[in-house]
Amino acid sequence: MEKIKVRGAPKSWQRSTSPLTICPGCQHGVVAELLCDAVDELGIQGNTIVISGIGCAGIDAFMVDMDAFIMCPHGRTCDVATGIKRALFGKPIVVALQGDGDCIAIGAGSLISAALRGEKITVIMANNANYGTTGGQLAPTTLLDQVTSTTPEGRDPGLAGYPAHVPEMLVPFRGVAYAARGAVNTPANYQRTKRYLKAALQKQIDNIGLSFVEILSACPANWHRTPVECLKWIEEKMIPEYPLGEFKNADRID
Amino acid sequence: MLRVAKMSQRILAQGNTAIGYGAVNAGCLHFFGYPITPQNEVIEWFARELPKRGGSFLQAQCETAVINMLLGAGSAGVRVMTSTSSPGWALMQEGLSALANAEIPCVVVLVQRGGPVQGTTQHGQMDYLSATRGGGGGGYRDIVLAPASVQECSDLVQLAFYLADKYRNPVVVLSDGLLGQMMEPLEVRTLDFGPLPEKDWALKGLALHKDGKRRALSCLAGFCFQEVYESYLDFIQHLDEKYRQMADSEVRYETYQTDDAHLLVVAYGYAARVSLEAINMARDEGLKVGLIRPISLWPFPSEAIRQGATRGGDFLVVEDSLGQLVEDVRLSVNGQAEVHLLNMLSRHMRTPAGMILPDIVLEGIRKLA
Amino acid sequence: MTRGEISIDERYCLGCGYCVHFCARGCIVIPGDRFTTMGYLLPVFINLERCNACAVCAWMCPHQAIEVYKYVESGQNEPEDISSG
Repeated sequence: MEKIKVRGAPKSWQRSTSPLTICPGCQHGVVAELLCDAVDELGIQGNTIVISGIGCAGIDAFMVDMDAFIMCPHGRTCDVATGIKRALFGKPIVVALQGDGDCIAIGAGSLISAALRGEKITVIMANNANYGTTGGQLAPTTLLDQVTSTTPEGRDPGLAGYPAHVPEMLVPFRGVAYAARGAVNTPANYQRTKRYLKAALQKQIDNIGLSFVEILSACPANWHRTPVECLKWIEEKMIPEYPLGEFKNADRID
Repeated sequence: MLRVAKMSQRILAQGNTAIGYGAVNAGCLHFFGYPITPQNEVIEWFARELPKRGGSFLQAQCETAVINMLLGAGSAGVRVMTSTSSPGWALMQEGLSALANAEIPCVVVLVQRGGPVQGTTQHGQMDYLSATRGGGGGGYRDIVLAPASVQECSDLVQLAFYLADKYRNPVVVLSDGLLGQMMEPLEVRTLDFGPLPEKDWALKGLALHKDGKRRALSCLAGFCFQEVYESYLDFIQHLDEKYRQMADSEVRYETYQTDDAHLLVVAYGYAARVSLEAINMARDEGLKVGLIRPISLWPFPSEAIRQGATRGGDFLVVEDSLGQLVEDVRLSVNGQAEVHLLNMLSRHMRTPAGMILPDIVLEGIRKLA
Repeated sequence: MTRGEISIDERYCLGCGYCVHFCARGCIVIPGDRFTTMGYLLPVFINLERCNACAVCAWMCPHQAIEVYKYVESGQNEPEDISSG
């Protein structure tokens, strides 16, 4: 009998050099793994540059064996990505890897402007419905009635507004070629989200327009649930609020 | 002095457009900007000229985006710049401190206008402290170069790109609304400052790195990014050494008739041009007065000022603010001489177009020389 | 029937339990008396016969701590799985 290796860390994965350890069950590791899987299957590891924002998503750029700007100023990931993409005349594949706060709270202006420009970058927003690194505060994607350290009585829309639906929001922008939302709470959703990521990166490879993928991601530390309970919470609470799917998939923008 | 590599033509140009000629002659093909008076001619020049030269121009959604696009472009190893005025400059502070932490070179031209912040759309010199002390998360330094003519607007931008790459640090060129709008003859030339090391640290894509190792940059060096520096203080010590090197070797200033001067005027930018005029008139009246014109505002020419003080002369600082440059002069003089100030309250008109003019400086000189 | 095996790298496992949860054949358990050097509860692979090397545990592991192997008749030249690290 011969023993062959079937699966381990993806080819473009690398052990994080950051002393910041990830929390047990935090699925940012899976988000980074998905990006590496998609990059490996598209064969673009040598030509991809990852820019991560401030927050838990920022740590993902430590886990990829690709050129990276790790943790750029908070909310400016799409601007830094634009700077790199323009500076190298569109040659590399540029990925902006953000959390929900970085992307649609402080970074909303940068995201909207990149979408208005149809900047040919791929934006990944890991949505864990709170500000992770700072201890679980309210985020734009926090669910109604969800308790966070700054909505101790649960998110009250009268005071803290309504959950943000980002891919749906980007659909009407002409410069947006792809907008989808995935999750990694089940193996099936893992494969589905990988398909979305590859489709998004392909839009950039084909130079069509901005591509955006949101990924629902468990945050046991700040949801105050065990990792496996978080998967259930995603299924029962998050996905009803944030339906999965492709909201836009344009082959051409004219 | 300056080594001219290539001379192409002599034209009549605004200070603002001279910035464009300087930048492209320094090999800068990337510009990110945002409209703000009194420097709109700069971004308009680049919008016209860069595409023709194979470069890329982008007007961003705000100045905060602009400075972060510089962070991106600079990380990719290209020469990149922006131009702005006081309110835009205020929005760029965090980005500038991020550029300094990540050690990314770029050039930022600040065409000062009357302050505070919106203030007026005309000229002023009220960003001196903000430019030389830095307004972002603290602990960094930027070399600040101050042109006083249209020619210097072009030449100092080229020098700025050289120094930015030499030290892997942003460099600020501090102009103002007057210098930006006025027209003077400009020799369009390429200056050669010598060789610079390869930007091996730049982000290009793993496949393009001969050693097969990925490049990673961060503006969080010290907090969690340990690949280059052993500890936080190793990183800070590196910055300290870099800033000392800048301070030791990048001081630039000009003196005019200071050898026998009993009174030394200290002024930069347009105020220096005005003071020069006044000094010539005073010399005609037999008054022994000279000028020290800082060209690098940081590192400040404190040694030259101190030597002036030891020769027993007093100082008259002329600046179009309530008094900012005067602080550096007092620090350099260290109590060894009187330091007087002629500031923006001596403008010839109270409306925003008011300027400090030669005759008011001459009056000041007469009282002190 | 392909048979598989997994190895869990103690340096990276943080004891989150996803592998136990996602293994459809109950091949992984957390006994509760094994700890990683960091003090996390270490899962253990217990079921060589039932594991078919589907590798779901490896995908879903957020910390890339699991490697999956497949036993094949020697001589069958199975292509090396490109995705293995």
